[in-house]
Amino acid sequence: MELPAAAMRRVWLRSCGAASRPNVFPRGFLSNPASRRKCLSTSSRRSIAAAEIDFDGPQSAPPPSGDSLPERPQGAPVNLDRLRIVPASPSYFTARPNFTDDLLRLRQVLRRYEALPLAPPGSAPKVAWKTFGQYKGTSMEPVKVSRYNLILDVLKRLNQIHPSLVPEEVTEELSKFKRHVDPHAYKPPPPQLDQWGRAMSVGKRKSSVARVWLVEGEGEVLVNNKTLAQAFARVHDRESAIWPLKVTQRIDKYNVWALVHGGGTTGQAEALTLAVAKAMLTHEPLLKPVLRRAGCITRDPRRVERKKPGKLKARKMPAWVKR
Amino acid sequence: MILRQLALRQGRRTLSAQSCRPWRRYLSSEVDRIEDSLQKSSQETHSIESMVNAHTKQSVPSIGNAIDATTEPGSMVEEWHLYQHMRNTIGRSGSDIMPHYKPHVLVNHPPGPAHISLELLLASQCHLGHSTSLWNPANSRYIFGVREGIHIISLEQTAAHLRRAAKIVREVCLRGGVVLFAGTRDGHERCVVKAAELAGGCHLFDRWTPGSITNGQQLLEHCRMKVVNEFDEEVPGFENQLQSMPVIKPDLVVCLNPLENFVLLRECGQNNIPTIGIIDTDADPSWVTYQIPANDDSLRSVQLVAGVLGRAGEEGQEARKKAAREGKITFRPPPHLEQPQAAAERPELEKGERVDPIEFMHGKRPQRADGAAKEEWGYGEA
Repeated sequence: MELPAAAMRRVWLRSCGAASRPNVFPRGFLSNPASRRKCLSTSSRRSIAAAEIDFDGPQSAPPPSGDSLPERPQGAPVNLDRLRIVPASPSYFTARPNFTDDLLRLRQVLRRYEALPLAPPGSAPKVAWKTFGQYKGTSMEPVKVSRYNLILDVLKRLNQIHPSLVPEEVTEELSKFKRHVDPHAYKPPPPQLDQWGRAMSVGKRKSSVARVWLVEGEGEVLVNNKTLAQAFARVHDRESAIWPLKVTQRIDKYNVWALVHGGGTTGQAEALTLAVAKAMLTHEPLLKPVLRRAGCITRDPRRVERKKPGKLKARKMPAWVKR
Repeated sequence: MILRQLALRQGRRTLSAQSCRPWRRYLSSEVDRIEDSLQKSSQETHSIESMVNAHTKQSVPSIGNAIDATTEPGSMVEEWHLYQHMRNTIGRSGSDIMPHYKPHVLVNHPPGPAHISLELLLASQCHLGHSTSLWNPANSRYIFGVREGIHIISLEQTAAHLRRAAKIVREVCLRGGVVLFAGTRDGHERCVVKAAELAGGCHLFDRWTPGSITNGQQLLEHCRMKVVNEFDEEVPGFENQLQSMPVIKPDLVVCLNPLENFVLLRECGQNNIPTIGIIDTDADPSWVTYQIPANDDSLRSVQLVAGVLGRAGEEGQEARKKAAREGKITFRPPPHLEQPQAAAERPELEKGERVDPIEFMHGKRPQRADGAAKEEWGYGEA
C-alpha cells in the first residue's frame, strides 16, 4: 500500500524503535540549566519515577526477591521469620563504606574538639601519615586520591591540637592512620673512599650523566679515556669540567677518571662539574661552602622544554598573519 | 632621710634592683609577665569563689579540680582550664538573649512532622523559588505567585506534601524498609547523615556511583551486609549465605537535590523504587514519585526537610521496635535464608575449585582428595 512520505517515515521510525526512546540525555544538559530547560521542554517529558506505594493493598510491601516464605525447620535455634538482611553500614550505597565511615568518624571527632587551642604554627609534631596506596590496600574500595586527601586534611588539623591538651580519643584515631616510622630516623651512610682511596660520584646536567672517580694524584684527567683537550674542543668546557678543582686550587692534587654519556658537549662538561665536586666532598667535606659559592653543588634542574602544538618550538610562534 | 621615707611609703618595689623597670612600663601596655598575671588572676578567682560561696546558697565549682600540683604554672593546660572555668561561671552573665535561630540546632535536633507549620517553613526560606524565566511549567500547581522576579512556592502545598512524605517515610521504616537519604551538594552532608541515623537508613552525600542499583552486583559486591533480628541485633552465622545473596536495593530514596541526581532517580524508576524529592520551581516533578515543592538551594530549607523526614523515620523505627516487643513482625523475611548450621554442614567449595556447569549436567561431581565423590555436597547422585 502506498503511503504518503511522512507516514512512511513515521512507520519506519516506529519499526526502528527510535521514537519509543526519546533522547532525554543530550550531552552536557546537566551542566547548563538553560540547555537543560530547553531540551526537557522539547523532548517528551516521560516520567521516570516509580509507581506510588500502596500500603493498604494486598501486596503492600514488595518482596525483596522471590515470593515464597521459607519452611520453618523443626527445632530451629534461629527463627528465620524474624530476620532481615540490611546493610552493615549506613554508607552502603556510597560503594566505599569503610572510607566514608572513616571520614565521618574523623569529622565528628574534630567537631567535638574544635575549640581546643592549637600548637604554635610550625611546631606541631611531624607525622608520617599513611600513603594513599597503603590506605587503599587495606580495603577493596574505589577510593580516589582527592577523597583520601579529605581524610588527610582532618588528620593534619587534629594533629595541630596543642600536645599538652590532646584527648585520648584523638590520639587513638590518629594512630590508626600513622605510619609508625620516623622519617628522620634513617640517615643514609656518608660516602666513603674505597680500598684504593677513590671517591666515586655521579653528576648530571641536561641529559648527560657523568661518573667520576677521584683519587689523590698528580693532576691527570681522563674523560672517556681521552685527555681533557681531546674530549672537549671548547676551552670553556674544559674549564667547566675541572672547575671545582680550579676554584679550590687543587688541580695538581687529584687525578680524575670520568665516564660520561648522553647529551652534548656543554651538558657533559657541566655534569662533570657536579660529579667532581661531589667526589671532592668525600675527600674534604669542609670544602662545601667554597664549592657552593662557586656554583658546583646545585644540580641544575633545567631540561629541554618540549615542543607544543600550535608553536614552532617550545615557545616560538609561527609568523602572525592578518587573515 | 627623705629617700628613706619615700621607700617606706612606696614599699619594697621602688628599692628593687631593676631600676629600668619603670620606663619599660610606660612603653609597653603589659604591666606584668603572663605568668605573673595568670597567677594573680587565679588568686583573684579563688578569692571571688570564696566570697560568692560565703554569700550565696549555690556553690560555685572550684577551679582547683582541673589543675593539680603537677601542672606547670603558666602552661597551656592551666590557661585552658582557667578559660573553661571562667566560661562556665561567668559566661552567662550579661544581657538575656532572646530565643533565636541557631543553625546547629536544625541539624542536631531537627523538628518532627508534628512541628510543620507555615511559620517554620517561611522562616526556613522554603518558599523561595527561582527566577520566573527559569521555571518548569509542570510546577505551576505548586506556585503561589511572583515577587521580585522569582516564583513563590505555596507553603500550604509544601506543608501538605511534606506531611505526606513524612508519612511515607514513617510507614516504610515501620515495615523494615531501607531508606536512602541522598544529598550531594556542599553542606548536605551533616543533615543527610543525621536523617539516616534517625531513620535507621543509609546516607549518600558524595557523588552517586552510576549503576549502584542497576549494576549493583558488581559495584556493591564488597560492601558488607548483615542479618538482624526483629530487635535490630545482628545474628551471626550467616556470612557464607550472605556471600551468595543479591545486593541490597533501597526501598525508598529521599533526594534533596533531584536536579543533580538524575541518574540515581532514573535507576530507582527502572527498579520500581519510589522516590521523594525536593522539587524547586525549575525542577522536573515527574522525576520523583512524591514531590515536596520547596526551595532546594537554601541549606536551612533542605536541613528542615531532611530533619523532618529523619524524625518521621525515627517514629517508624520506634513503632516497629514496639511491635517487635509485643511479638508482632511488620516486615517480610527474606525468602532464601537457611539455618546457619545447615549451611555450615554443606561443605563449601575449596578455594579456587570451580564446578563446570556442563560437566555437572553430565553427572560429574566435586571430588575429594581420595577420589571419592563429595556426596554430601547436597545435590545427590547424578
